[in-house]
Amino acid sequence: MTARAAAPLLECRDVSVGYDRPILEHVDLRVEAGEIVALLGGSGSGKSTLLRAFTGLLPPLAGEILLFGQSLYELSLEDRRRLLQRTGTAFQQEALFSSMSVEENIALPLRELTDLPGKVIREMVAMRLAAVGLSGYGPRPPASLSGGQRKRIALARASILDPALIFCDEPSAGLDPSVAASIDETMVMFRDALGLTLIVVTHELESIRAIADRGVMLGRGSVLAQGTIDELSESRDPTVYQFFHRISDDALGELPEAPAASEPPAAPPPTAPAASVRDADRRPGTPQA
Amino acid sequence: MRAPVAASSTAVEQQGGTAVVRLKGELTIPHARALRRQLRALTRRPHLREVTLDFSGAERVDSSGIAVVSLTRRELERRGVKLELSALDERQRAAFERLGRAPAAPQADADAVPPGRIERMGERVLAGLEGARAFLGLVAETLRQTAALLGRRARLPAGAVSGQIATMGADGVPIIALLSCMLGTTIAFQTITQLERFGAGVFVADAVGLSMVRELSPLISAMILTGRTGAAIAAELGTMRVRSEIDALSVMGISPVRFLIVPRILAITVAGPALTLVSMAVAISGGMLIADAVLDMPPSAFWVRVTERVSMGDFAHGFGKSFVFSWIVGFSGSHLGMRAGGDASSVGAAATRTVVTGISLIILVDAIFATVSSLGGHP
Repeated sequence: MTARAAAPLLECRDVSVGYDRPILEHVDLRVEAGEIVALLGGSGSGKSTLLRAFTGLLPPLAGEILLFGQSLYELSLEDRRRLLQRTGTAFQQEALFSSMSVEENIALPLRELTDLPGKVIREMVAMRLAAVGLSGYGPRPPASLSGGQRKRIALARASILDPALIFCDEPSAGLDPSVAASIDETMVMFRDALGLTLIVVTHELESIRAIADRGVMLGRGSVLAQGTIDELSESRDPTVYQFFHRISDDALGELPEAPAASEPPAAPPPTAPAASVRDADRRPGTPQA
Repeated sequence: MRAPVAASSTAVEQQGGTAVVRLKGELTIPHARALRRQLRALTRRPHLREVTLDFSGAERVDSSGIAVVSLTRRELERRGVKLELSALDERQRAAFERLGRAPAAPQADADAVPPGRIERMGERVLAGLEGARAFLGLVAETLRQTAALLGRRARLPAGAVSGQIATMGADGVPIIALLSCMLGTTIAFQTITQLERFGAGVFVADAVGLSMVRELSPLISAMILTGRTGAAIAAELGTMRVRSEIDALSVMGISPVRFLIVPRILAITVAGPALTLVSMAVAISGGMLIADAVLDMPPSAFWVRVTERVSMGDFAHGFGKSFVFSWIVGFSGSHLGMRAGGDASSVGAAATRTVVTGISLIILVDAIFATVSSLGGHP
């Protein structure tokens, strides 16, 4: 990978994204080669919108997005396409082509974008199917698979070119724990064995802890905090705290005014997020169940 | 993909039955084709017993490199040659361990033997019978629900029928009027030039009136109805099927037939014959204009001949057919739409099949009408 030099694979400089009005503003982040970064945040916090901006589908309202050191939206369409060929995206709704079989779906990027011989393509597809635990499902139509199987096929298709950077939008949302764990393992394998970098949109706490090297927490229209998962779970920001300790808005009650920004991670736990009795056992400082 | 940075080249050293391949550069997608060619040539060498791939000069290895190596391994093993990998670094070893254990060859479903020709034919016949049974079931259920409606035991979704009539009928008037006008004038022109040779030009009114009222107006309206409305019904219901909206109705305990199909059938029962009437009127007016312009035949004289020649029976024949044609369009669109599969292409297929089935059935039924009425003594 030539891009493994100093430049980060992905960089956001003061980016605002949204449709008519901005959903997220002043986003600054860097993703380095070989890490798994989780984009975190509650529903509607702008995770998927930001991902659309990263993948060339939604120009930002302000700021600059650099992919492999090049400004994504200042390139010509042709150059942008070439840049995006070095990434892979697994969509939340899988977006498998229903008119093709599973193996044709996975082979599509290879057939369209490379000059590999057919035998090698078939071998690579078989390897990927084995890697996601679905050997023998190749000839089936995607419609005949379960939700979890389709998610794994989407991941196989997104990774088939060994792209330097893979985007996954909620790869394990709504799946049973064992399937979710196998998807997590596959993603970690891509990083360890192939040296790929992954940006994963998710709100599954367990999977975040299992795979992510770093997290970027979105909320209240911007980046609330970023750092390692341990750092994030000790953050004093009320939204981040709420997220990592699974506290509902009701249980949180009325919070005092939010702290200015993400505090240093080593800071002491927040002073009582709520006064209600039933969440007393979840107070910071007391052991978690 | 990117242009190769450092083209991978391999050096092969062979001593007796042992060959050592020194890999150089990246084993990645841009270089995989060349690597495959080199290793393939190697597998064809005679007298080999053992091959070693030396990775000490190799850089990054990706899935394509692993795939080429494991293909080569299988091809060599088939000839009884052993393949060893040496001097892998940690990441390369991990990549081969985690990805390289693909099952031998893309394994086809063991239990799925491709069906023979007779078996496929049988399956198609059975599918056809099942389709016909489902079609009749749909018609029966629609009639039952309509009866319940008329008996005031069930309600229609508010505004459903009037909205459907507007899109199926009123929106279709311009195209029907245009086509019918052209058809009427064409027939008038053609018959006038023939009949004039015998000095029988006035019979143009008979020709236009009879052919449009008995045959062409019902037919042209039904064709347009199939293309516009039948395909739309199939696509709409098919999309609802794909998005589980029809299942949603079912689990709510709401009959999809009553909610979706009865309003469409009622609307098309009004819209189809209405369009046919429009077509008849416009086509006869078109003929009238041509007769006036070419033969100096006053419109009143034309109209008198039409009313003398076209009997109430002829009108009932044409108008009655338009009801049957409308039901053919409505039911085939509904039936095929409801049976659309789970994917995007099945919606398109449902719409296409509706048009083809609709037009075929309409012409078939028209032929039956013509045969029966000629047996009954009508010309």
